[in-house]
Amino acid sequence: MSSTSATARKALSKIACNRLQKELVEWQLNPPSGFKHKVTDNLQRWVVEVNGAQGTLYTNETFQLQVDFPEHYPMEAPQVVFLNPAPLHPHIYSNGHICLDILYDSWSPAITVSSICISILSMLSSSTVKQRPEDNDRYVKNCRNGRSPKETRWWFHDDKV
Amino acid sequence: MLGILKKMGQEEEVVIEVEAVQSVYGDDCFVLDFFPPHLHIHMKPRTADVSSQQFVEAVIDIRAGPQYPQEPPCIDLIESKGLDERRQKDLMNTIRDKAHKLSSSLMLVAICEEAVERLSDMNHPDGDCPLCLCPLASEDKQDKILPFMKLMSCFHCFHSECIIRWWRWLHTERETSVKDSSSAMETKEGMHGVMETSMGYCPVCRKVFHAEDFEHVLDLVGTHSFQMKSNGTEVIDADSLLQSDTENIRRQKFEAILKLQQENSGLIEPKRDLLIQPGMFLPQAVSIPAAKILEQTTKQHQRDPAVHSESINGSSSKRPSTSKHRNSGTRQQRPHPRQPVRQWIKKENGAAT
Repeated sequence: MSSTSATARKALSKIACNRLQKELVEWQLNPPSGFKHKVTDNLQRWVVEVNGAQGTLYTNETFQLQVDFPEHYPMEAPQVVFLNPAPLHPHIYSNGHICLDILYDSWSPAITVSSICISILSMLSSSTVKQRPEDNDRYVKNCRNGRSPKETRWWFHDDKV
Repeated sequence: MLGILKKMGQEEEVVIEVEAVQSVYGDDCFVLDFFPPHLHIHMKPRTADVSSQQFVEAVIDIRAGPQYPQEPPCIDLIESKGLDERRQKDLMNTIRDKAHKLSSSLMLVAICEEAVERLSDMNHPDGDCPLCLCPLASEDKQDKILPFMKLMSCFHCFHSECIIRWWRWLHTERETSVKDSSSAMETKEGMHGVMETSMGYCPVCRKVFHAEDFEHVLDLVGTHSFQMKSNGTEVIDADSLLQSDTENIRRQKFEAILKLQQENSGLIEPKRDLLIQPGMFLPQAVSIPAAKILEQTTKQHQRDPAVHSESINGSSSKRPSTSKHRNSGTRQQRPHPRQPVRQWIKKENGAAT
């Protein structure tokens, strides 16, 4: 229904394919610690397992991140969401959407899946309280018909967590 | 008494040497002290002063004690761009080795030249393009390598095609967000909203760059149809380029170097492996007096016996061409696409006569 989810379904461009293959090779050689790429034959959708870091609120918890790449990756940011159940975190909505600036306004094509993962883990690790964002219910209701987080107008108000 | 006089004479010689360095490097040389010498020198690789072809640079601190030149000076790297740790180390080791070898003779100009020489060898970006993740440059000449470029402000390097693709993406994205002014516009505010149309930002460090930053590579990637936005300031015609301040400064700098070179009997050494070979054809000879060149070459022989036979051949058969070759060889390794080589020869003639 929306333009972004439509482009997300479009096949990867050749440039995007090449770049993702490079990223995958690099990931296999040197995976970011705490993450595991679930092997599939789908280059366009990665599912990555995240282990909460030791000594944080999420120790021994495991989550799954779903990364969908648009046709013009890396010019366009990938869509990154947590699969159910999403971690309880002040910047993560119960539908899995993540409020993290580099995924939206501050995206740069030099950012890789690996660096996104590191940012997300650091966001989890620095959390001091396990709770949903204040506007969780309102936001999730608005997204009910499958809206992509990339269409949200995000308001990044807190860079501490 | 005699001892003091001798010491004063030495001190004077050292001061003259510092002045020589100053005149070679001009604004790139900052003298903190004449005696004992203490200087900061901003080193750039030899690229005929085409700054877009300079992928590395370094600022070096040279600090000598009162015993200089008996004791070589301390040399440190203050700042560098485009050099990873390995290459920084390599550069400093090369310079320090040179300083030790030349111990007890006046060496400031020679070690600076050595640094520039080494930097020129290293003048290529390291690692992969941050956008496509393929290597930017390769030591192995067999590999097929795409044209690459740097952003002038931050020295981050990309394949020309990759960065231009990003630039276009930024701008088409901005246009579409202006067109449908509703939700799309709102999401694209923030970082993109505040930028002018002729700007982009570096994907690596987010430093703002301008259209001029890659204007020099547009030819390489075959994007003649690509229209620059804004008021046409990007289109620089040859005349205004020749009369521009930077061009005048560059010319003065070059003349100063040439003058110094003549005065010092070729103290500025040419790149060794580019010495003239017998049978090499060099059409336009430069009118530097033959005696000067003879001096230069003989001096060189004394310094470096390894190239002795080659230089003899070169200087005897094509003597007047030697200095011409030096310039076209070491200073014009990568000609700028917009600056024909002829321009250089013309200047040099002007300066030499």
